[in-house]
Amino acid sequence: MTAETGSLHSASLRSGRRRQRSALVVAGLMAITAFLWSTPFLWTLVASFRPETAGGIGMASLLPDYIPTLDNFRNAFESGDFAVYYVNTAIVAFGILAVQIVTISLAGYAFARLSFPGRETIFYVFLLQLMLVPPILIVPNLRTIVDLGLYGSLAGVMAPYFASAFGTFLMRQTFRQIPRDFEEAAVIDGAHWGQALWHVLLPMAKPGLIAFSLVSLMAHWNEFLWPLMVLNEPRTHTLTIGLATFALSTEGGREWGLLAAGTLLVMAPLLLLFAIFQRQFVNSFMFAGLKG
Amino acid sequence: MRWIKSLAVAVALAPTATWAQTKIDFFFPVPVDGKLSREMTRLVKVYNDSQKEVAVTAAYTGSYDDTKLKAQAAAKAGKPPAVVLMSANFVLDLKLAGDIVSLEPLLKADGTTKAKFLDDFWPAVHANAIVDGDLYAIPFQNSTPLLYYNKDHFKEAGLDPEKPPQTWAELVDAAKKLTRSDRMGFGLPEGYDYMGWIMEALSMSNGGRYFNEEYGGEVYYDTPSMLGAAQFVEDLVFKHKVMAQGVVEGPALSTTFLAGKVSMMLLSTGSLSFVRDNMKQPFGVAFVPRNVRNAVPIGGGSLVMFKGLSEEQKAAGWKFAKWLSSTETLGGWSRFTGYFSPRKSPYDTAEMKDFMAKNPEAKVALDQLPYAKPWFATYQTVAVRKALEDEIQAVLNGKKKAPQAVKDAQKNADALMKPYVDQTALKLP
Repeated sequence: MTAETGSLHSASLRSGRRRQRSALVVAGLMAITAFLWSTPFLWTLVASFRPETAGGIGMASLLPDYIPTLDNFRNAFESGDFAVYYVNTAIVAFGILAVQIVTISLAGYAFARLSFPGRETIFYVFLLQLMLVPPILIVPNLRTIVDLGLYGSLAGVMAPYFASAFGTFLMRQTFRQIPRDFEEAAVIDGAHWGQALWHVLLPMAKPGLIAFSLVSLMAHWNEFLWPLMVLNEPRTHTLTIGLATFALSTEGGREWGLLAAGTLLVMAPLLLLFAIFQRQFVNSFMFAGLKG
Repeated sequence: MRWIKSLAVAVALAPTATWAQTKIDFFFPVPVDGKLSREMTRLVKVYNDSQKEVAVTAAYTGSYDDTKLKAQAAAKAGKPPAVVLMSANFVLDLKLAGDIVSLEPLLKADGTTKAKFLDDFWPAVHANAIVDGDLYAIPFQNSTPLLYYNKDHFKEAGLDPEKPPQTWAELVDAAKKLTRSDRMGFGLPEGYDYMGWIMEALSMSNGGRYFNEEYGGEVYYDTPSMLGAAQFVEDLVFKHKVMAQGVVEGPALSTTFLAGKVSMMLLSTGSLSFVRDNMKQPFGVAFVPRNVRNAVPIGGGSLVMFKGLSEEQKAAGWKFAKWLSSTETLGGWSRFTGYFSPRKSPYDTAEMKDFMAKNPEAKVALDQLPYAKPWFATYQTVAVRKALEDEIQAVLNGKKKAPQAVKDAQKNADALMKPYVDQTALKLP
């Protein structure tokens, strides 16, 4: 009996150790991957606090072997009007998102629930625009913006994104996963289709909406080429254009510290947003089966 | 009835109000440094405050390539920029594409001629401003390649820091003495755009021409002068072992030079201010070493005007362009940036003489000007340039030998220019 338990015990101990060891290996591999993935970010962080060594080879180091300084951030703030850039970028990114949420929910609902002639065809034609490379749309879009009298304004930057093929597709899929029974129950209780959408479908589609919001915010926060095409005056500039004024030098050297500080300033709000809503984001991505 | 009267007055006044001030857009890229975009914004403000007829909106437009894209898109959408600071070798391409206007009618309206207007500009910058005999651009900021060297390294290696190498043979000799296990004797900027310009400098120093200055459908890649230049680059890496293998970008090169990891480099005169501000060890500059003759290409940016402007905007743009390229503005811009002024007259001013006395390196750049030649410009300039750059980069990576590289570059460049050649030189009666 004792021998038996003893051998059982040692067997479970052995398998426990094995499990422990494999868990350690997995953790180690994950730590290495995480480190590799975060290296650019770590470097940016370290470099942005490094004291002025323009052209110093030490700039490439990942180790914070110095007394931290805020000089680079001060230089960045002097190089550009960051307060204006932040406000403009927030208006563009959140403004686009606000309109998109309305348009993609309605369009997604139409494609998922309403039946009308040519529904499938129209849907696939709609999806076709995902195949277009954005640069070929610059001139036609710009012409439309000029005709609408939006050239040079933030509204002009936002307008082409008000409808989103990707968002519509995502919402259609999300709505289709929700059993019809829920809406039917609401309709039996006397709800209009709009009320059913607002009170029943949308709350259930929240993970899909959150996933889309993140993708949309990231894309428009970081966009460079289209805002550069539309905007002229410095007071309308967004963060990416502001950053480019001191990042795109080719004939000078690169002021890495300044560049790192500027980059950090551009990405800080999104980073913060992600840190706060991390749990919701991860859950919604698992629900929506999406990769960023 | 009074409101009708006031409406009539308003209608009558409206055209005068728009006539009184013409609004125009000015697009400018900043290829050197963020400080320049603030200086340019300040200059435009000075101009706007100095007069009432023209209101200029200055828009920073990214790199030279982004600027070209934005200006072309804006023109197609019906909002052409009145004045654009454009890479000087895009002028030919833009003219062939029908994007920019000839400045001849504006010269005529001023009662002057191209010859008179260009008289004060250095001869070397003329060619890139003229297409098919007409003036299409006003040179604004210019540069040439220059040899930068670390004086401390020269002393260490037993070389005379006041006698930089003048020929390719002396360059190789010095580079061998300067190369140690922890540093390279010589370096070139080898990223896109820079590589083509440097190869132009080397082939010209080898007696070559790189391209046909008079006709946009010919480049001289598969020629002895270019083969010699390509072989020289290959030998610097693989035979003499004084230059790093692989492609080194311009900013990375200046970084390693400042850090003392490279003893000599070819780089633009446009980097002079940057190197002077950041170099801790003493450095010197000299002419680009020659094999056959002293010759360097011009680089930099020129002012052009886009098609589709109203007559008022055109007149306003011309006025602003003339102010930007005036003796006073060009002199100040040159001192601020390190580019040399395409006009000669700023160098006669007291401020400039004072500046030259304090910065002898700037004088070397100026002395090299008589040897400067036009910057390559062909049909499809960028693609034709890349045809050569891709091959030379393959040589630097040890994937190709120089003779094969120049042959392939020629073949690819000819294929790119074929549509133009078929429409021009090979279109026979």
